[in-house]
Amino acid sequence: MAVISYLEAISQALREEMRRDPSVILLGEDIARFGGAFKVTRGLVEEFGPERVIDTPISESGFVGAACGAAIEGLRPVVEFQFADFIACAFDQIVNFAAKACYRWGTPVPVVFRAPSGGGFRGGPFHSQSPEAWFTHVPGLKVVQPATPFDAKGLLKAAIRDDNPVLFFEHKHLYRRIRGEVPEQDFVVPLGSAQVKRPGADVTIVTWGAMVHQSLAAAEQLSREGRGECEVVDLRSLAPLDRDTFLASVRRTGRALVVHEAHLTGGFGGEVAAIIAHEAFDALDAPVARVASLDVPVPFSPPLEDAVLPSAARIRAAAVELLEY
Amino acid sequence: MSTGTPQAAPPAATQQAFLDPSLDRLAIRPQEPVERAELVALYRAMRLARSFESKLAALYRQGRIVGAVYLGTGQEAICAGVVSLLRPDDYFSTVARGLAGWFLRGVEPRHVMARWLGRDVAPSHGRELGLFLADLAQFGLAPYHNGSMASWLPSGAGFALAFKLRRQPRVYVAFTGDGATAPGDFYEGLNFAAIHKLPLVVVAENNGYAYSTPNAVTMPVANIADRAPAFGIPGEIAFGNDVFEVRRVARRAIEHARGGRGPYLIEFKTFRARGHGEHDDMDYVPQPQREFWQRRDPLLLLTAYLAGEGGFASSELAELDAACARQVEEALSWAEAQPLPDPASVGARLFAP
Repeated sequence: MAVISYLEAISQALREEMRRDPSVILLGEDIARFGGAFKVTRGLVEEFGPERVIDTPISESGFVGAACGAAIEGLRPVVEFQFADFIACAFDQIVNFAAKACYRWGTPVPVVFRAPSGGGFRGGPFHSQSPEAWFTHVPGLKVVQPATPFDAKGLLKAAIRDDNPVLFFEHKHLYRRIRGEVPEQDFVVPLGSAQVKRPGADVTIVTWGAMVHQSLAAAEQLSREGRGECEVVDLRSLAPLDRDTFLASVRRTGRALVVHEAHLTGGFGGEVAAIIAHEAFDALDAPVARVASLDVPVPFSPPLEDAVLPSAARIRAAAVELLEY
Repeated sequence: MSTGTPQAAPPAATQQAFLDPSLDRLAIRPQEPVERAELVALYRAMRLARSFESKLAALYRQGRIVGAVYLGTGQEAICAGVVSLLRPDDYFSTVARGLAGWFLRGVEPRHVMARWLGRDVAPSHGRELGLFLADLAQFGLAPYHNGSMASWLPSGAGFALAFKLRRQPRVYVAFTGDGATAPGDFYEGLNFAAIHKLPLVVVAENNGYAYSTPNAVTMPVANIADRAPAFGIPGEIAFGNDVFEVRRVARRAIEHARGGRGPYLIEFKTFRARGHGEHDDMDYVPQPQREFWQRRDPLLLLTAYLAGEGGFASSELAELDAACARQVEEALSWAEAQPLPDPASVGARLFAP
């Protein structure tokens, strides 16, 4: 198996799906000759032409609406937001049109929204957000968030083949920092399947996106310290949600820590915590805990941003509290 | 600024402001031959819509409609005229204010009535108001969302993009209104369509008011069509209560779009003879303005033509009217006999399988 970056995995998924299915088209800002702000689509316009790799004006609502119309008419558009933050400009088309068309009319909308999300690279308040909970609150949308190259490629392929609108949050800080083995042959990671990224008997950490890596780092440290073994469950997909995997884990460990990069209040972690509290109450030896970004915008200056985003140290401290409860 | 003074009627001179005198007329006639069957079809669709809406308004007042009711009375000529020119595989989007267009396309009154009554009929099965209908396969009525009537310019551009990429000579007609020229989607959708020369025809029914707010308060330009040059596309202004003029202008626009020359913006000046919804008494519309437009009612103008130059006997028109009234009564009886949706169905079809 080849070892490739998270970014290369996404590029490969796009290229392979475009080769497999001529109805797959791409829309986004600067994605054609320029290859996108992060170069995810580099080389695609050369292979597939400007009719399938479409540079759009800076008008998120406009090109998202257009993608939805084209999707209903049988194309399979993949929209690239330059930054996940800009998805706010297209919120109406996503939550009021794409999410509701099937429920209202029985009309599938097979469209994928790729949203480079997350902070940690000094991007400031409008280039660092993790807005997945804006969308998990809306019935009719699927929401996925890969942490590894394998999952990024497999989930994106599954998203493109899905007949429903899928929000694909790819963490831009992982693009070139995370590498991993990815099979050469075609594969998908089904939407709605969580994965245990590290087994452990003492605490379950339920997490997704970039926080999978911070959680693994915290788990390794606790293991080295002899404090306990954390089981790290990567949800991979928030909607649909694989409850069974994390509930089974919590029933084994009796302790649950939910970790996400999005803000604490109203974050999807609250939903996970509520499910655990309700479904696995009898198995719990400690209250469900959460680690998330502070409830302030993601600031620019390094000491400020570092104070807002969750870190391996904060995750470790929260896990220790659970272990000592 | 004075306070507490009652609203005065505008002086006669301002009646010119109700409609540009160059567009104004009290009699209409086609400039090209129109088949008799086509005249009948246009008249029937408009009359049926009028009869249907009168019934709907009555049902609303009787408390027999479960939600709000929105009517397009006074604007029937626009949707009927435009839709009469579409090919079966063309798409269009409009709310029930374009009821005459729906009927012309084959939508059945009994199904529309059942939807207003919240009954379990396809394709929405009680999930949507009777105001909204999308059914591509049967009627070419495109899905849209109802947040604002601007929101379907981007999606219309997307449908048109699919037509273009597949080299299909089809068009998408987006019906919209003066209020919907304010949101960004109006510009984003037209901009995208113009860049790619997509077959998108935008029909702006300018009835003078965005709910209660008159054009002058929301538009810094006199006409919606004045905005067309910003997209490098043709814009045209016409009298929307003259069904023949509607067809003349729309034919140009549709041919332009179908011919691969890109989008086209038409503004039809018209007037909404009833409130934004039936809950709205339109107290913001001066009486002289209402009376001005009553004399230019699209059905009144078409009827006068048919009974005069058109050569229709008054008995023939009366028969058509009676048939429409009967159809509405039958629609109501049928609709009331349909089942309400089963609450157990509420979670179904959220996602495509």
